[in-house]
Order: sequence, then structure tokens, then C-alpha cells
Amino acid sequence: MASFAHIRSLTRHETILAMVVVFALVALSAQSDRFFTVANLLNQGRLMTEVGLVAVAMTFVIASGGIDLSVGSIMGLTAILIGVFWHNFGISLPVAAALAVGVGTLGGFVNGLIIARCGVPPLIATLGTLALYRGLAEGISQARSVGGYPDWFYLLGQGQINGLPTQLLVLFIFAITATIILSCTVWGRTVYAVGSNEIAARFSGLSVERSKLAIYTASGFAAAIAGVIFVSRVSTTRSDMGTGLELDAITAVVLGGTSIFGGKGTIVGTILGLILIQSLKNGLSLAGVRGDGTIVVIGAVLIVTILLSNIFSRDGFPEH
Amino acid sequence: MLIKVLPTFLSLSLLTGVSYAAPAWTGADDQPTNPLACDASPADVASKPYDGGAAVDAPNRKGKTLKAVDIPKLVGIGYFTATSKGIAEAAKEMGTMDVKTDGPTKANIDDQITLIDNYTTSGVDGILYAANDPVAIAPILKKALAAGINVVGYDANSSPDSRQWFVNQAEFNGVAKSLIDTLSKEIGEDGAFAIVTSTFTTPNQARWIAEMSAYQAKCHPKMKWLETVEAQEDNILSFNQAKTLINKYGPDLKGIVGMTSVATPAAADAITQSGKCGSISVVGLATPNAMKPYFASGCVKSAILWNPVDLGYAAAYVLRATADGDLKPGSKSVKAGKLGELKVINGSEILLGAPFVFNKENASSFDF
Repeated sequence: MASFAHIRSLTRHETILAMVVVFALVALSAQSDRFFTVANLLNQGRLMTEVGLVAVAMTFVIASGGIDLSVGSIMGLTAILIGVFWHNFGISLPVAAALAVGVGTLGGFVNGLIIARCGVPPLIATLGTLALYRGLAEGISQARSVGGYPDWFYLLGQGQINGLPTQLLVLFIFAITATIILSCTVWGRTVYAVGSNEIAARFSGLSVERSKLAIYTASGFAAAIAGVIFVSRVSTTRSDMGTGLELDAITAVVLGGTSIFGGKGTIVGTILGLILIQSLKNGLSLAGVRGDGTIVVIGAVLIVTILLSNIFSRDGFPEH
Repeated sequence: MLIKVLPTFLSLSLLTGVSYAAPAWTGADDQPTNPLACDASPADVASKPYDGGAAVDAPNRKGKTLKAVDIPKLVGIGYFTATSKGIAEAAKEMGTMDVKTDGPTKANIDDQITLIDNYTTSGVDGILYAANDPVAIAPILKKALAAGINVVGYDANSSPDSRQWFVNQAEFNGVAKSLIDTLSKEIGEDGAFAIVTSTFTTPNQARWIAEMSAYQAKCHPKMKWLETVEAQEDNILSFNQAKTLINKYGPDLKGIVGMTSVATPAAADAITQSGKCGSISVVGLATPNAMKPYFASGCVKSAILWNPVDLGYAAAYVLRATADGDLKPGSKSVKAGKLGELKVINGSEILLGAPFVFNKENASSFDF
């Protein structure tokens, strides 16, 4: 029996993905001697933090059988509001950033209300708020960008602590917390239960509505934090920030083995998915492959990894 | 009571808004403007000390083959294909530059920053770029300078201290003057017009619109600006926006100004399809190839642009001269192959020349 369990753990999606990541890292290091250096890898960590934060929260959303398309727009709205609160209203920067994060979180909460209370399918609800929040960002900003932040603010996006990019620590804390919540708490179990079978979850006495509200609010919060980090990294605010971010995050989550139908998924998988995408983007570029070639490879890797995982999974059939 | 009074207040406040404040046009940036004289007298050029950055501990690259990368705003549109062609042409002519073009597939700041970051890590000698955002791109360009890479911008600038030189295709107030003068000639001194731009934050477009607003107020005060609409640099979106403008303003609309090489032909197409040729004029920035059909049908009389192939060509020569140390702070001009001597302006910019007006007669002699 022990050996059987051992074989099963080998064929888990995360294990397969980890092997793909290792293979990719080795292959990419062979292509360019500038790839596998501490400086480059840390720098890549810096670049993937914003998508990472959103993807970690998105794991909860997708594992609960939902989707959140509005995260890129929430990020843009948060970014704009930091600039507007600080520059136009003269609020001190930490308070302005906190307020902007508050509004972003509220955006996620509104998503949750529409989905949980009004029963609108998540795809449609967040497709609506995707347009709504982006429109607000463009309207509020009047297409003006705000720059010239004080130097200390750049510590978050451009600085480092003990040699580590600051925002990578944020992602690390975020991921650890999320792992604990998802795998070790009643709350995390509820997410899987809702994703597997919402009606069964409801009849088991679980609070499905409250769980959904919390999930989408958390997703909004993560997108808002990503917005603050992004502004700090590029030192300006623009209303088109975060466009397309939702697709990058969803790709990482799905590549990480979270079932798009809900009920299954881990934070470790999502982080591995993130690392794979980021190292492909960077490594191929260093090896001299152009941007358009890189996205072709990423698409192919996504499909091949999911296929491999399905072939090796116990019954040989897709999970659903 | 309040309900009855409210509309009066609203309309009053609207009226005062229109008549007293001279609002900047939507899509203009908030930098100070410097409109040219209404006649053709040249502006005085105030000389300014070098304000560009420096590549830190750059190795001596004189005469050595340069490994360079060209990162435009985006790839896959005619304009940047033309600049890349110019860069490749110059590289071939010099024989000492190994250059490739790689850019984001959408005009996205984050993708562009990531690309520059990757090329900085991969250890190129020189970077040529056209910025999607002047501020957002600055930290990563400074990082490239700190790594000893020569950095030269073209087409769209970044903050001066984040690059060594910038090849300026045409001065903003010069382009603005050309556009407004041409427009007033076609729609009359009291005609109303609308603008189709890329996005309100795109630096070049925002600067041109600001300068156009200032020049129009100074030299053609009776012309009426209706609206500025965004259309990314997207063909279909530009067409739809132009169509919407035509339907929205009806006979009031006398002219459409296209601020991108995509928007101008799309607006011309929209007017052709609406059967408004002759009653609505199109002027704007455009490449001659895209405009040839509309010149031929008589729907568009003229378009304005510099030669993007020359722009790329000049940028490659400026990068070479910078790497060689021939172009350095304090230089007054730089040699750029077949283009001859180009002038240094505004501290750390190289001026390509005056904008060029294409029309039915001269368009056939250009192919880009």
C-alpha cells in the first residue's frame, strides 16, 4: 500500500509540473549563461509578483468553481486612485495607498455581492465589472498620469531587503498564508466543497454565500495590493495599467492544476505555474527568441502539461 | 423648488464653463506649450546644456561591432516596420552593427519594460527604443545605462536622464502648426472638427494635441474643437470611432484629425463609406502608402508625416556615434550617413527635420 501511495504522489499534477519546471530551467540555462544567475532569477521574481498575488487569490476563486475577470481593472483603478488621492486631494501617501486598496477591495466585494446574492454567473458578473472598473479608472484619471512620488515609496517596487526584492517577500507571505488557509482550515475546505458541488455544500450546512463573498473580496484585495506594487515599480500611474492581467493569472492557475470546474487546486501548483511561465518568458528572450515566438511556446507548454497530467492521472481521463 | 432651479444652475454653470475658462482639449498633456508664429517665421532656438544620462563605465566600443536591440512601442504596424527597416538599412551600411527588432505585440508598458529588462540582462551593447510611457520606462532604462549599455530613443521620448540621446522626428509645435494650418485651409477659419487619437496618455499624441490647442487659440481662434476620442492604435476601433463622430455631429462636423498613422486612413475610410467625401475633410499623420487610395479618390487632400525609415536610419547612426564617443555632451551636430549632419536641439535631442506634407502629387515617390 505504501508503494501505491508513493506512485500516486508521483503522478500528481504538481509533481509532473515540478518536473517540467526543472526541465525548463535546465534547458533554458543551457541556452544562455545569463539565465541561471542569482541576479536574474531575483529580478524575475520582482517581475512576477503582481501576477503572482492575483494568481494566488485566483486559485481560491477558480477552486470554488468561479472566475474573476475584473482583477486587471481593479488593479488599474487602484493605481489611478493612489495618484488621485495623493496628488489631487493632497492626502498623505500611505493613507492614499490604504484608501485605494480599500476601494479595490470594495470592488472585489461588489463582485461577490453580485455573484453570491444576485446569483449572476461569475463569468458574466466579472466581465461586467471588468468594463465598469476600467471605465471608472479612465474617467477618474481624466487620462492624466501622476508621477513624482517620494523616494521611500519606490522601496516597495524597486527596492530590496537583504538582497531580496521587497515585493517578493510580500508574495511569499501571501502565498504561505493562502496555503495554510486553503489546506488546513475549515474555510479552505469550504472553498473546495463549494467548487465540487455547491448544492451539496449548501445542504451540508456550509455558508456558501459568505464563502463566495469572502473569496471575491480577497481577490479584489490581492489585485489592489498588486496595483500599489505596480505603481511603485514603474513610478507612475496610468489608467490602462493591468490590462490583460486576468488572463496571465488564470493561465498560471490552470497550468498549476486547478480545475476550471472547481473543487480541486493548490497554491503550490499555482506558484509552480507562475515560475514556469516567467522563466519561459525570460529564458527564451535571453536565448534570443523574439516575443511572438515566446507566447507560442507558452501556449504549447500549457496544453502539453495539462495533457500529460491527464494521461498520468489515475483513471487516464480528464478530471471532469 | 430645488428641482426647478437646478437645471438653470446647471446650464448656467455649463455656460460659464464654456465662455470663461479656456479648457485644454481632452487628450492634451499639462506641460507648457510653445506655439510657433502664425506666419512661417522660424522660432528662436534657445540653447540648453546637455541633460541626458550617461552609460556607466561603458567599455570602449569604438569601431567594434555593436550588438544592439531595437524595441519599438509595438511590432506589426506599418510605422514601426518602417523604422525597423531604416535601422536595418543603416546597420547594413555601417557594417559594424548587429541589430534586431523585438517589441511587444500590443502597446503595453509592462511588456515593453520586461523586454528591455531581459535584453539588459542578456548583455547587449546598445538599446534603441520608442517609449510607450515616458515615466514608466525610465527606471528600467536607467538600469540599462548603469549596466554600461548605450541607450538612444527615437519617436517617443522618456525622461531625459534615462537615456543618452533622443532622435526627435519633428518638433511638436512644428507638427501642430502643420496640422492646424492644413485643417483651417480645408474646413475654413470657423469650421468645427474632432480628433481621433491613440490614448489620452500616449506622450507624443498628448503633446501634439496640447500644442495644437495652443496654436489654434493663437492663430485660428474661430475654429471649433468638438471632441477628442481614443482609438488605441487599432484599425477597427479607429474606424468605429470616426463613424460615431460622423453620426454624432452630423453636418456640424467639418473635419477629422487623425493623430496616429492608423487613425487617419481609418477616418478616411469611414468618411468614404458614409458618402461624406468632400463635406468632411480628413487631415492627420499618416504614411503615404496608406493614404494613396484616398488621395486618388480625392477624399483626402493631404497627410503629414516625417519619413519613418529615415527616423530609424538616423537613430542607428546616433547609437553608433554615441558608442564611438563621437557624439558626446556638448556636441552641436552628428553625422548620419546619407542624411548628412543632423542638429542637436533641446540639450540632448537630435532633430530629424521639418514635418513633410504628402499629397496626391508627391505621394507616389514614397514607398512606406
